[in-house]
Amino acid sequence: MTTYHTRFNGVRKHTTMSEPAREQTTVITLDELRPRAEEKKSFSEYFMPPRHPCILFDPQKCTGCGTCEMVCSERNVSKIAPLSASVKVLQDDREGKNFAILCQHCRHPLCLEACPTRAIEKGEDGIVRINKLFCVECGLCTMACPEAAPLRDEKTGGINKCDLCEGEPLCVQHCPENALTFTRGKAFRWIKGLRWTVQAISFLLLVIVFLGTFCYFKVGAVTLACPTGLLQNIASSRTIVLVGASSALALLILTVLAGRVFCGWVCPFGFILDLVGGIIPKKIGWPSFLKSRMIKYGVLAGAVGGSAALGFQAFCTICPIGSLCRSYGVQGVFRGAELAIVPTLASLEIAQRRAWCRYFCPVGAVLGLMANLGLIKIVIGANRCKKFSCQQCADVCPVGIIDRGLLREGVSPKIPMTECIMCMRCVDRCPYGAAKIRFRWQKGVPGIPGETRV
Amino acid sequence: MKEDALLEIKQHAGIYGCVECGRCVAVCPMADMYVNFSIAMSPRGIIKKALAGEDLIHDRNIWYCTECNAGTDVCPQGVSCRDLIRGLREMATAGDAMAEAKYCACCRKPFIAVPVEEFVFARLHNEPSNVFKILELCPSCRRELYLVRNA
Repeated sequence: MTTYHTRFNGVRKHTTMSEPAREQTTVITLDELRPRAEEKKSFSEYFMPPRHPCILFDPQKCTGCGTCEMVCSERNVSKIAPLSASVKVLQDDREGKNFAILCQHCRHPLCLEACPTRAIEKGEDGIVRINKLFCVECGLCTMACPEAAPLRDEKTGGINKCDLCEGEPLCVQHCPENALTFTRGKAFRWIKGLRWTVQAISFLLLVIVFLGTFCYFKVGAVTLACPTGLLQNIASSRTIVLVGASSALALLILTVLAGRVFCGWVCPFGFILDLVGGIIPKKIGWPSFLKSRMIKYGVLAGAVGGSAALGFQAFCTICPIGSLCRSYGVQGVFRGAELAIVPTLASLEIAQRRAWCRYFCPVGAVLGLMANLGLIKIVIGANRCKKFSCQQCADVCPVGIIDRGLLREGVSPKIPMTECIMCMRCVDRCPYGAAKIRFRWQKGVPGIPGETRV
Repeated sequence: MKEDALLEIKQHAGIYGCVECGRCVAVCPMADMYVNFSIAMSPRGIIKKALAGEDLIHDRNIWYCTECNAGTDVCPQGVSCRDLIRGLREMATAGDAMAEAKYCACCRKPFIAVPVEEFVFARLHNEPSNVFKILELCPSCRRELYLVRNA
């Protein structure tokens, strides 16, 4: 029993049960009669995701001729009747805009949830179909769909929904302007493997091989230092060491050039968080009073002020990155209580992915301020992706900065580079190449990949 | 005047041919939707009341129907319970009766009945809350919104 039953419990009537004269009848619910197919994820799908087909629409090429409606209606009802088509072309004459309403074949279809007779099914091949045997044409699928893609035929009252012509869509074949593209998305994701490799190598180097570590290390003439540590150092000693300042500058310049690459690709604690977060199931929610991303600037101010007051680098003693480098690893300086910091903060992953990085990390705060001035940005061209029906970029984003609400409304979400850790999961995952890295001054959104006809 | 309109609706729906076989209730999706499904809100019950001349415009039971056409498809007499309920609802929204219609936030036209919408909301309870903002609009306004935003 789902909760919609309990909502009506207040007015529940058991006419058949309460009358003693009648026999008690067994009520078979729809769940028992036609159980929903369970989502099974095989082992190979973790590496090779299923490539479900869909039709992408490019509004800039569409002329609003309505050929797609005609060929679609011919398949549906064997005559040219655009009202009976499963696709609808909308025209805005004032601004010269055209838009085709098409079923997107969502990953988690809302129409499937709303259908009272459970006539809508999502097949193994990813195509969402209406089973005409069970459909009563009540139109609740149209009510539940954000794009209202299941279309009601005004003449006959029926519901028409795209089934991709079982893999060979006629509208794509007949579109004179190639505004419709049939695609299965890209298959291979190479950034994922590259990132894990880089993270593992930098973890090895920073924690195990190099002594002294990320906070400050020196190889020959090259010195590198943590910018947050440097700030605390300046605050506590009230002197500026030029060598230290220039070495901290290296990381800041890298951040300006390439965003917070350090957080996503190098940070050894981030590597631990990614590993732990991949395994731990998300059991509890994050408390809402800690949901402000401004907290980390407060932590930064507290760290600098604290070091000025105390006379030593206050935050560095409890910094998870520093304590990971100092107390774990081959150098074997197991320093008692410091061991506990990393597991404690890594356990925040049970609430949210990269919770420490999102809300608390002062190193990320400094880098975020620099990334805000940075040269590059990540754009997601919601114009030409599957929008609400896919949302894989929002699913994989470890810091959760891709706005699902905007995706649901079909608007390109703006990604704050202050928060983005440049892990490039969204770029890697997007099957349609809508998530791209662009320079700051570039305008426009990415186009559809593979402009080929079926 | 009002009686004339009511009579016309009833005749147009053809309810005087009803033989009370109950096939429309057998196929009615409301039985799966509402736990408190009863004879009063079933198409057969509403047609019975209409035949008896009872006041249906002020009755909440006409607002549970999804306006599908399943009952008419199986009816041996071709009674269209959808047309009957649609007509009754139109009279209720036009007059001062208790109209449980949901009005589109954009075009201000009624497009769905409140109990049906409650059912859809309850089915989508797992979805993030911003989906309900879209459900405030009628389907054609939703499509227009996509045209304006995305084209």
